[in-house]
Amino acid sequence: MARMKFLCDVERCIDCSGCVVACKEGNQIPVGVNRRRVITLNQGQAGEKSISVSCMHCADAPCIAVCPVDAIYQREDGVVLVSKKTCIGCGYCFMACPFGAPQFPKGAAFGARGAMDKCTFCAGGPEETFSQEEKKLYGQNRIAEGKPPLCAAMCATKALLAGDADVVADVYRERVFARGSGVNAWGWDKAYNKK
Amino acid sequence: MTNSLNDIRHAKSMIFIGSNAPEAHPVAMQHVLHAKEKNNAPLIVVDPRRTKLAAKATDYIRIRPGTDAAFMMGLINAVITNGWEDKEFIRTRVAGYQEMAAVAVHYTPEVVEDITGIPAAEVTRIARILAENRPTSLTWCMGGTQHHIGSSITRSFCILQLVLGNMGVSGGGTNIFRGHDNVQGATDMCVLSDNLPAYYGLSDGAWKHWCRVWDVDYEYIKGRFPSKDWMNKKGFTLARWYEGVLQEEKIHQDTPIKAMIQWGCGSNSNSQYFKLKKAYDMLDLLVIVDPFPSMAAVMSDKDNAYILPATSQYETSGSVTSTSRQIQWRNKVVDPIYDSKDDYTIMAELVKRFGFADEFYKNIKEIPEDITRELGRGSLTIGYNGPTPERIKKHMENWHTFDIETLRANGGPCDGDYYGMPWPCWTDEHPGTPILYDISKSVAEGGLPFRNRFGNERTYESSGRTEDQLAAPGVFNPGSEVEGGYPEFKDVVPGTNWKTDLSQETLKVAIKRGMAPFGNARARCVVWDFPDKVPIHREPLHSPRPDLVEKYPTYKDKENHFRVDTRYESEQNPELYKKFPYVLTTGRMVEHMGGGAETRSNKYLAELQPEMYAEINPRLANNLGIRADEMIWIESPEGGKIKVKAFLTERVDDKTIFLPYHFGGMFMGESLLDKYPKGHEPYVIGEPGNICTNYGYDIITQIQATKDGLCNISRA
Repeated sequence: MARMKFLCDVERCIDCSGCVVACKEGNQIPVGVNRRRVITLNQGQAGEKSISVSCMHCADAPCIAVCPVDAIYQREDGVVLVSKKTCIGCGYCFMACPFGAPQFPKGAAFGARGAMDKCTFCAGGPEETFSQEEKKLYGQNRIAEGKPPLCAAMCATKALLAGDADVVADVYRERVFARGSGVNAWGWDKAYNKK
Repeated sequence: MTNSLNDIRHAKSMIFIGSNAPEAHPVAMQHVLHAKEKNNAPLIVVDPRRTKLAAKATDYIRIRPGTDAAFMMGLINAVITNGWEDKEFIRTRVAGYQEMAAVAVHYTPEVVEDITGIPAAEVTRIARILAENRPTSLTWCMGGTQHHIGSSITRSFCILQLVLGNMGVSGGGTNIFRGHDNVQGATDMCVLSDNLPAYYGLSDGAWKHWCRVWDVDYEYIKGRFPSKDWMNKKGFTLARWYEGVLQEEKIHQDTPIKAMIQWGCGSNSNSQYFKLKKAYDMLDLLVIVDPFPSMAAVMSDKDNAYILPATSQYETSGSVTSTSRQIQWRNKVVDPIYDSKDDYTIMAELVKRFGFADEFYKNIKEIPEDITRELGRGSLTIGYNGPTPERIKKHMENWHTFDIETLRANGGPCDGDYYGMPWPCWTDEHPGTPILYDISKSVAEGGLPFRNRFGNERTYESSGRTEDQLAAPGVFNPGSEVEGGYPEFKDVVPGTNWKTDLSQETLKVAIKRGMAPFGNARARCVVWDFPDKVPIHREPLHSPRPDLVEKYPTYKDKENHFRVDTRYESEQNPELYKKFPYVLTTGRMVEHMGGGAETRSNKYLAELQPEMYAEINPRLANNLGIRADEMIWIESPEGGKIKVKAFLTERVDDKTIFLPYHFGGMFMGESLLDKYPKGHEPYVIGEPGNICTNYGYDIITQIQATKDGLCNISRA
């Protein structure tokens, strides 16, 4: 069975936030909750790079390991989901996650906890597929419709890839091969005195 | 755009100057990155800011704002000095080359370094990259045009491509990315004050041509004007309309402007925006047609404004033209919501009340199809006659049959057509012209030579040399009856030419003979009716370099420039920089659009970019005692001032301040939030960057100079 993965190609990501807006608009996410965000390093300096980050749907997900009420689970295709009806909003998953993926509704001074929200890979949630309840709690279930997640589908430069990890890896491998030759090859500038 | 977005995939190198595509044209970037990855094409980015596009560049060159022409002439000189020019292309298809080269020779790498700040060695190195990686796709945007010498700067880009022989080839071309949805269409319909649709100008012949198309009596149209001579005079431009109200400078019109309609116009994209405030207050009537209340809607202190709620593009349908000259059909997704009406309905209601609906709608019964039909029938200059509504819709329904690399349909109902029938599409059987001036294909298959527009022969003032303006023998499209240059077609139908023959017989005859209706000529480097016949550098009106103002001064003042006297010489004070020491430039951010009325009213976009700011180099900020995120005042020499947050970043150098121009709803430190209609306030308001942009207008087009002004800054 395929294992679902995201891959953000930093040579392609142009920091346009199209993925962020597609996710929010398509899933009706409240302002302040960011299932996905674009992080830029070295902004305005040589070597500036941007990467779109969300829940990475880890194979051995630390959030699942630490959840005290077993609200987080992994589907057979690798998508990690949370049951909002079980979640107590304690924030252990937030501490465990290396990517800052778990989101909590905004509250007062100390950050009121509510049920955790995060990227669903546009695969809905534990409620009945295509039900109103699923849509209300988790947003669209595009995977069940046979469609890719909104963010990757929207990406103008195809920096953000989503789907079967084998297929994603093939696409990325081809790009990396193309980039590793000619003027883009490591050492080309020194070898041919191009700079 | 001579080529298309898709065709950039074939470039062997790319140079972007005054263009920041990831912010302004994110969707186009897929083709740019494709060429970079697949062809190993160097991506050269020339910009005062280290932009998001610079982050993707192989070579980033920081340039001083307003010095693009000097850099281009320097590249041209370096190409010629090193013998890298395309000699055969120049010999056969270019005019005025020697006269141009005689001017370019001044721009040695050292001179270019002094003017632009680009190291001399870099000028030669970039020229070499372009010479060794042909064809080059060259892109510029508003960073190239919005200067008082914008018309010279853009010409210098074109001349570079001619010298390198990069015109009329796949992967080459001058590819100006248009800034908004359907801007190419708006341009083609000449929503301008000096032209009738399709670049026909304002001559009597132009009026008579369009009267025939509209099926309206010429005498009737003439009767609508106070006297005939007003029909041939240019009007005010968007950049300077407010002078028509304020009359701070002498205007050439019988009365000041009293009423104004702003239809889909973000008024805060006007430079010296604080002056518009006075003009809005003085208008008798202001009508705003927009899906959202724009900045103009809250500017006036007088009760003189009406807002007509227009629909978004999703609530209407019709033809639109993309940056690649492709005509597409847009289908309605939902019926107009709330009280909004689509543009056609608003226009119809206006026309009815003005009392000329019978004339206006003579050929237009089915909306919008008949509009596309009528404008196509008249727009022969640019070959809009081929794409009928039926053909456009057929393309939309079959777009999966078009090839992403060539844009050509491979089989299916559109077999052989290029997607969107890029204009000129001469007849209803023509496939469209995907690459302009490409002589490798027959005219019937989408090829073209350069247009014969400026006579058949010319004697140059600077050299006294006389040159044939038609292409050299041996230069022709396959199948052409004449195997060399030829003039434009006329009198095929007596008394008409290819532009005015509504029977389209001339176009058909030309194509049957394998020839271009507009002739086969050379591209000219010398424009004898411009003040600078060959592009040269002139210092920005407000320059930080008094020594260069002396060497490269601006033009003489220009009287009656689009109905208003315009200052050049008398405005260029070399001492100005002492009080206003920092260069001010503006640009876009990807999250917001134009004046921002729409995007600042979208909660997710507002969340991503919630606040107006000024980019300041950390070194400059430290020298001035400004800390990150502190509020600062920015002041223009004209008296505009804004209070904004300091965003410390090395995107800009320590002499330059950058402002995004999408914010509105604040005015010189005051919030205008309570002036919006209740419930229609944008989520985000901020100071318009254009309050601080300076005086300065292009000598030909009058486009505003927003990219190279001066300012002062201080802690608030």
